[in-house]
Amino acid sequence: MEFSIEVNNRKIQARKGDTILETLTQNGIKIPRLCSVKSLSPTGACRICVVEVEGMKNLVASCSYPVSEGMVIHTHSPRVLKARKVLVELLLSNHPDDCLYCERNGNCELQDLSYELNVRERRITGVKSKLKLDLSGPCIVRDSSKCILCGRCVRVCDEIQSVSTFEFINRGSKTRIGTSMNRDLNFSNCIGCGQCILTCPTKALHEQSSLDRLQTELYNNKQQKVIQLDPAIMASIGEEFGVKPGKEIEGKLVASLRKIGFNYVFSTSFAADMVLMECAAELKQRMETKENLPLISSFCPAWVKYAEQFYPELLPHLSKVKSPALMLGSITKSYFANTIGVKQADILSVVATPCLARKFESQRIEMTRNGISDVDIVLTTRELAHLIRIYGIDLQNIEPLLPDLPFRTSSSSGKLYANAGGFTEGVLRTLYYQTTGKEIPTTKIGELRSISGIKEYEQKIGKEQVKVVVSNGLTNINSLAKAIREGKLDAHFVEIVACQGGCVNGGGQPIGLSVKDKKMHAKSIYDIDDTEIMKAAHKNALLKDVYDKFSEVVGKKNVDILLYTRYTKRDVLR
Amino acid sequence: MKNQKTILLVDDDVDFLFQMKLQLERFGFKVFTADSQREAEEFIKTFKPDLAIFDLMMENEDSGFILCYKMKRLYPDVPIVLATAVSAETGLLFGLDSDEEKRWIKADLYLEKGIRPDQLQREIYKLLKL
Repeated sequence: MEFSIEVNNRKIQARKGDTILETLTQNGIKIPRLCSVKSLSPTGACRICVVEVEGMKNLVASCSYPVSEGMVIHTHSPRVLKARKVLVELLLSNHPDDCLYCERNGNCELQDLSYELNVRERRITGVKSKLKLDLSGPCIVRDSSKCILCGRCVRVCDEIQSVSTFEFINRGSKTRIGTSMNRDLNFSNCIGCGQCILTCPTKALHEQSSLDRLQTELYNNKQQKVIQLDPAIMASIGEEFGVKPGKEIEGKLVASLRKIGFNYVFSTSFAADMVLMECAAELKQRMETKENLPLISSFCPAWVKYAEQFYPELLPHLSKVKSPALMLGSITKSYFANTIGVKQADILSVVATPCLARKFESQRIEMTRNGISDVDIVLTTRELAHLIRIYGIDLQNIEPLLPDLPFRTSSSSGKLYANAGGFTEGVLRTLYYQTTGKEIPTTKIGELRSISGIKEYEQKIGKEQVKVVVSNGLTNINSLAKAIREGKLDAHFVEIVACQGGCVNGGGQPIGLSVKDKKMHAKSIYDIDDTEIMKAAHKNALLKDVYDKFSEVVGKKNVDILLYTRYTKRDVLR
Repeated sequence: MKNQKTILLVDDDVDFLFQMKLQLERFGFKVFTADSQREAEEFIKTFKPDLAIFDLMMENEDSGFILCYKMKRLYPDVPIVLATAVSAETGLLFGLDSDEEKRWIKADLYLEKGIRPDQLQREIYKLLKL
């Protein structure tokens, strides 16, 4: 039902059921806000979005108040403006004054607001909050003294990611964001996806940085420094340097990383091809024996941790193949080390990835052989951008170079896994070939490229209808996981990614991207697939080469340990 | 058990010591404990462990650093883990990332307290090359 309301002496149309803020935004009236995010439920916690409604005693928070017929609203009356300003001043009163040293300097919503609302002096001096810095987590650092209690992390973790690590604790001025039993993040059920970092308006949540260690290691001439680039980085890092996303940026990144001091730059997509081959073979084998079906993908480390702590019954369903980044890490320190004649310990293996949970995955005990980890350092997209800035490299004008052999080229399905549903497309292409010996007739599967939460698709391969299900994000995970547990899900393969949209929207990506930016990033990955000739993993000639020599170079008994991993039930505080 | 590796654990927090000891014994190590810098100093005069885990702040604010130094002078080949909650409590950030820090902190690994058991096991295995 539509009706009209009056805003700032102007009539506008409103729909019943909308909040005041939604109506105003649709009509092009900008209201500052802090705690309100479009995809999350409104709470009215920060009250920056207050407006004046005639006939009401108090100002109302427009993000959570429903619009009704005949309302007369003032959005920028002196009373409203003063209230907003005081609110920001109060938020700043106990905020640490270290903007210049803050990681989010220039990219902080509180800073922007205080500028927008023209806060020019400190009128209110509060006691600076001195809260414990939680450095224990492998992925996320929590600096509670910078928290402004907007509750966005609480809602993202609960409503979007279905994890619920954070919750408000205590009351009144003692209110904090805390984990279960208020223990360190390391003992909590945090899966390290990093979506809370992307939504945090300040630096209260940020990543565990490895930049300092890397800078020292880069000057250690005794070791060979190897870095691998994830395909999703190519989609987003251009944003930071004003370069278009797509294929061209890969070469520029390779060139800059060589300048920074890496001896070899590899492409994670190569290992993704390998993972696809192994995964398709595993699916084929399980379809023959009909054991532990459906096969569930395991390339997303956040999902793997989620399964280990919430659904240990599903662990036998999980694919035993390592994730692409760790797979390349392990073959770098075995196959590649042997071919260039270097010891396993003399290689520094770095991963540049949009995924924050990789930091945790690289520390797993299964990813360590002879006391040496397969991946030493994990850099997020943000850290990589920092690194390039620290070394003063002009990414725009650098001459592109190719990644190093032998892990140079990949098929486009090895890059598609950056988007939710892309891994499944890759598996289907290779499975079709492995079963029938022919190429799949339609490579582009529109059903798997939509943005819905759960996507389903059927593909006829040989005599069998192969059913696949893709869970885009963890929002609907509980119903899906329960269906699998009870054997009610009729599917052969299930892909689950923790971040909505897949790795391109991972927790390590630049902060503050708009919906349009995100769409463009996903599209740039699909564009690569459209233009690439080599579309399936089994067509990768370099991969065939590596496969031929693999067991000879690393020794037959080591093949399993290098390519496969295992999962164990994890006890955490919920 | 033959070849059981020994770990020297030093911390003034008796509860932490107790829990950690249980944990390490579950991994299959033999654990000796000391609850002060002085006791630990006496101990290392007579015994060489395979690995040592020290707290930073005990009777002196820099007890951990002193222990590391004395230990490395006696047994340069024994890996040392410095486990502390000092960063979380004071906001002082340091680690073993830069060469400069490595020069004055004579430990092999710096750990924030609040480490998961599986994480600890991995770090110890890495240091002992198991």
